[in-house]
Amino acid sequence: MSEMISTSGLTKKFKELVAVNQVNFRVAEGQVAGVIGPNGSGKTTLFNLLSGYFPPSEGQVTFQGEDVTGQPPEARVAMGMARTFQLVSVFDHLTVWENLVLSNVRFRHNGSWLTNFFFKNARKKAILEYCQESLDTVALSDQAGTVTSELSYGDKRMLEIAIALSLKPKLLLLDEPLAGLSDHEIGEVIELLQKVKSDFTLVIIEHKISKIMDLVESLSVMNEGAIICEGEPDEVLSNTDVRECYWGREDC
Amino acid sequence: MNLSVTQSVFPVGPANRLLVFRDMAIIAASFLVMAIFLPMYWLTDFAIFCILVLSFDLLYGYMGHLSFGHMLYFGAGGYAASLTLLHLAPNPFLAIAVGVVSGALLAAIVGFVVVRTEGAAFALVNLAFNQIGFWLVLSGLQDYTHGEDGLPSTVEAIGFLDFYDTPVAFGFMLICLILVFWLLKSLVSSPFGIMIKSIKENEDRVKFLGYNTLRYKWLTFVIAGTVAAFAGVLYALVKGFVAPGDVSPLENTRIIFSVLIGGAGNLYGAIVGAVAFELITNLLATTIARWEMILGLMLLGLVFWFRKGITGYTYELFLKMGRRAPAAD
Ligand SMILES: Nc1ncnc2c1ncn2[C@@H]1O[C@H](COP(=O)(O)OP(=O)(O)OP(=O)(O)O)[C@@H](O)[C@H]1O
Ligand SMILES: [Mg+2]
Repeated sequence: MSEMISTSGLTKKFKELVAVNQVNFRVAEGQVAGVIGPNGSGKTTLFNLLSGYFPPSEGQVTFQGEDVTGQPPEARVAMGMARTFQLVSVFDHLTVWENLVLSNVRFRHNGSWLTNFFFKNARKKAILEYCQESLDTVALSDQAGTVTSELSYGDKRMLEIAIALSLKPKLLLLDEPLAGLSDHEIGEVIELLQKVKSDFTLVIIEHKISKIMDLVESLSVMNEGAIICEGEPDEVLSNTDVRECYWGREDC
Repeated sequence: MNLSVTQSVFPVGPANRLLVFRDMAIIAASFLVMAIFLPMYWLTDFAIFCILVLSFDLLYGYMGHLSFGHMLYFGAGGYAASLTLLHLAPNPFLAIAVGVVSGALLAAIVGFVVVRTEGAAFALVNLAFNQIGFWLVLSGLQDYTHGEDGLPSTVEAIGFLDFYDTPVAFGFMLICLILVFWLLKSLVSSPFGIMIKSIKENEDRVKFLGYNTLRYKWLTFVIAGTVAAFAGVLYALVKGFVAPGDVSPLENTRIIFSVLIGGAGNLYGAIVGAVAFELITNLLATTIARWEMILGLMLLGLVFWFRKGITGYTYELFLKMGRRAPAAD
């Protein structure tokens, strides 16, 4: 199996704090990988480095065999890397369908996307249909015309995932997609992920380990900026170091 | 809610292409009605000012970038037009072409620098460029601009198109305003319009949709500057001269004020605000000696209590009435 993404010696320092420390992380194509670790262990920072939110202090990121360390986020997205954010990030002032226009016009529309982008009405039937399709996958079609700020947190999370999916990703990075959701909503997100996971490589950061055990094929554990253990989920969870750093945590 | 694919009716209809024509007709009708009550040469100025404020609304209202230097492009258009008329040919269409292209080029160059800044820095860097332009006109390029004296910008009539015939000038400017409205309305209704609204809300997030936001911010800046330059050319054509006041950084307050009065981020607000502002200043100036104070008080009121402007509150009113209506049946 070829590698989808890998890092070598990846390090990020915020002044004295080393948030990510010499991380060599790799995910094979088609794999579903989980990343766990206590609060502040550097999981989100690792995602920020992978997706180009900020540059690393040291080390490299290789995506689909290409060194993308110096590439801005938009270039990585164009290469097929999509992500979501720990705190849901959608455009609150836009309507739900408008949130999906930019990704759909660019990545899913046939023909010249630039013509559609500048010279066609965003309410053009073909564009609306693409948006509807995206919304159907997350069962939000009936909210299409709603202003996004009026959605529940769970629905916003669904919308954010729909946006990410409409970018036609080869690699999808989800930062705590279950955080802040009710049990019912968690079930829906998991069901959706089970359904679409075969289309791409998936990396999930999650605190609620038990919820993703059925989903992930490998698990990496971060602590104080370093990956302290990785491998098969069951093996990793029985590792003593891991138990130690999670000791007392109810989720485990 | 369940995750099987629902073929629900999409609650958003496709674009109604006729709506923009309805709006264009309303704008034309309003100006014609105003022509019954107000001097026609006022309305000519109003229409030109509306174009300028529309261009500013794209930048500020839609993209959320407040500039204190928009007059630079208005002035650049005017001076480029005047120099064309003086040195090339007294043809209004040539002046429009050269003026608009000059404004676009200037905005393209300055934009390259300014779109790299945000918030207060963006406003102030634009102000700095506007100051430089003002200085160039007043003294740096005096040999060409004649400093404080300004320059003539007289045109020859082409057939019936005589800019010194008041109804003709009014008609021409009104048509220009309507065309600019149509152009900008089409632009903001496209995915590009959604892009600049998204940049206003969260630029970083837009990058994670695969777009190089710097490029689109620059493009928006150039479009806004180009349309402002167009307004500047038109102003030079009807006035018959250009003066440093046309590039004055102080004039930016009039634009900002107008957008706030009308409501930012919907093109109607720019037009309503521009007309309201011009009416207020024209009427107050003839009746009250120190009318600027009243303007100042209004600005305070707008900023503290009426952030949405005339159109914003009108829209809310309609929404409320609309909500009440279905409750009845
Ligand atoms: N932009 C930043 N500037 C300064 N420090 C930061 C920044 N981002 C993260 N940090 C710090 O880096 C460390 C790792 O943070 P990170 O958000 O990556 O942790 P995490 O594993 O995602 O934690 P959580 O489970 O709480 O989300 C923390 O100490 C955090 O305060
Ligand atoms: Mg985190």
